[in-house]
Amino acid sequence: MTPPPPATAMAEMIRPRKTPKDSKINLDILSVTKGTSLSYIALVGLAALGVTQALLTLAYQTYEGLGIAGYQAPVFWGVYIITFVFWIGIGHAGTLISAILYLFRAKWRNAINRGAETMTIFAVITAAQFPLIHIGRIWKFYFLIPYPNQRGLWVNFKSPLIWDLFAISTYLTISLVFIYVGLIPDIAIARDRSTGIKKLVYTVLCGGWQGTSRQWKAHNRTILHLAGLSTPLVLSVHSVVSWDFAMSVLPGWHATIFAPYFVAGAIFGGFAMVLTCLIPVRRIFGLEAYITDYHFENMSRFILLTSWIVGYAYGMEYFIAWYSGVEFESTSFYLRAFGPYWMSTWMMITFNFIFPQLLWFKKLRTHVTFLFVLAFFINLGMWFERYVIIITSTSRDYLPSVWGLYIPSAAELSILAGSFCFFALFFLLFLKVFPIIAITEVKELVIHEKMHGEAR
Amino acid sequence: MPTILSVFERPDHVAAAVRKLKGRGFDDLETYSPAPFEEIEEAMDNKPSLVRLFTLVGGLLGVLTGFAMPIWMSWDWPVKIAGKPFASIPPYVIIGFELTILFGGLLTLVGLFIVGRLAPRKLDPGYSLRFSAEDFGLVVTVPDRDVAEVDSLMRAQSAVEVTLVDG
Repeated sequence: MTPPPPATAMAEMIRPRKTPKDSKINLDILSVTKGTSLSYIALVGLAALGVTQALLTLAYQTYEGLGIAGYQAPVFWGVYIITFVFWIGIGHAGTLISAILYLFRAKWRNAINRGAETMTIFAVITAAQFPLIHIGRIWKFYFLIPYPNQRGLWVNFKSPLIWDLFAISTYLTISLVFIYVGLIPDIAIARDRSTGIKKLVYTVLCGGWQGTSRQWKAHNRTILHLAGLSTPLVLSVHSVVSWDFAMSVLPGWHATIFAPYFVAGAIFGGFAMVLTCLIPVRRIFGLEAYITDYHFENMSRFILLTSWIVGYAYGMEYFIAWYSGVEFESTSFYLRAFGPYWMSTWMMITFNFIFPQLLWFKKLRTHVTFLFVLAFFINLGMWFERYVIIITSTSRDYLPSVWGLYIPSAAELSILAGSFCFFALFFLLFLKVFPIIAITEVKELVIHEKMHGEAR
Repeated sequence: MPTILSVFERPDHVAAAVRKLKGRGFDDLETYSPAPFEEIEEAMDNKPSLVRLFTLVGGLLGVLTGFAMPIWMSWDWPVKIAGKPFASIPPYVIIGFELTILFGGLLTLVGLFIVGRLAPRKLDPGYSLRFSAEDFGLVVTVPDRDVAEVDSLMRAQSAVEVTLVDG
């Protein structure tokens, strides 16, 4: 039994306690997770409806066979693969913001990294379904997983498709680990302020987090190491995806520029999607104090930079097609611009390179409505970029006698629409479960500012 | 032995208080802070974190697996193509690279839980939700005779509140 402390000390300690005030940052950011408005429920319902129609189409396609997709000789990579590459690309901005900007100590990322990581997770999950949809016989998806087997399948580790499997499953796993580690202290904040079953779930998820110095130290190290590991990972994933094309011999695909071209495009499209997600979130939940115009301006700068890299790649493809003197290559690129898919090509160039040039003006970089509209066009442009790359090359092969035309079928468009609804549905649900802004990271900045008396 | 909880408003005050207490020989300390602050971590324990070992071991295991698995599988099902060796190392670099990151990342997560001693369990009696707001806490367990001294010491270090922890 502990004997009581000396009376003088006891007397000294009995003082009226202040009722501790909760932090404004906690209240503001956790308020996003509280309550559901009618319009929120309507949006979730709409997204769920979109997912349902895609599931019905998928069931029909599984029953009927891939014939109901627009696939026919010579085009066997259609909307499903395009959309797969599109969503994988979208997933790149999140890890770029959370890992690369972390290593560069770009503190402005603190307010937007959670939103971007969330987007990454759901984009990659959306993308990961498309190879399965694309193979038609979904029940045989495990054939993709390499292991010695009795099924007569040779595991070919020299194939980029196998590299892709490793790259994407690693990317999904590490992105999940990354967002989870970042969430731990924030879940503890939510745990301290909830009751009942919610508290139980948060308690288990945050692993008894109390913010002790030992915990913070391990946490900091973990984030640093994960950032170090994810940085090359981000660059590798879309490179490996690009090799799915570049390792083959089709004109228009077999180019060494593909890896950097795809990575830059992915970051470009990813930032556009971050804008598409965060602009409405900021507006609806009144988070202007945390996600400021400064953040949007910085993201616009990234978009401007990567639009130039993408534009350079577009130009370089045409230059090499002409300069190489290879007839197949130059014909292929001539047909891109003036063949049956000319509209997609010009849309891609206009939306991804010409429109973003407006970001040279500071007024437009900080004009949120303009950015939202621009981001919409960039998303469209990036989808069409993959459309152009995949369809024009497969439909115009070496021999004109095997040329064909591909038109997306209704089934494919239904599943494409479903993928957007799937992404939106899970993003909306996430908003109500976990804080969409990294509370502790924002708090770190705020306390530092308070200490040093600097106000931005 | 009684446990004393002091509440601070700034991380540098916590760090100074920790140093003071350590200087007086009180080593049974714990801090709670709403965000990471290097000054507190340095004052508490200046040793490098052991998480790095987990990452290293994970990365090495990954690169080993990433090369061993394809090489084993290529030999397990030998298909001779163009007179080349069954196992070709250059393309396996990609598998090795991805698995280095996968295993390294997963083991880093394990390291966080082990090194940070995270487990769903009852929270410390000294912890309260104000430490996930914007206050900093410092608990120290001292012999009875030192309670008064620690109390005045903490107040001198600009603690805004000093109380005994129940239980």
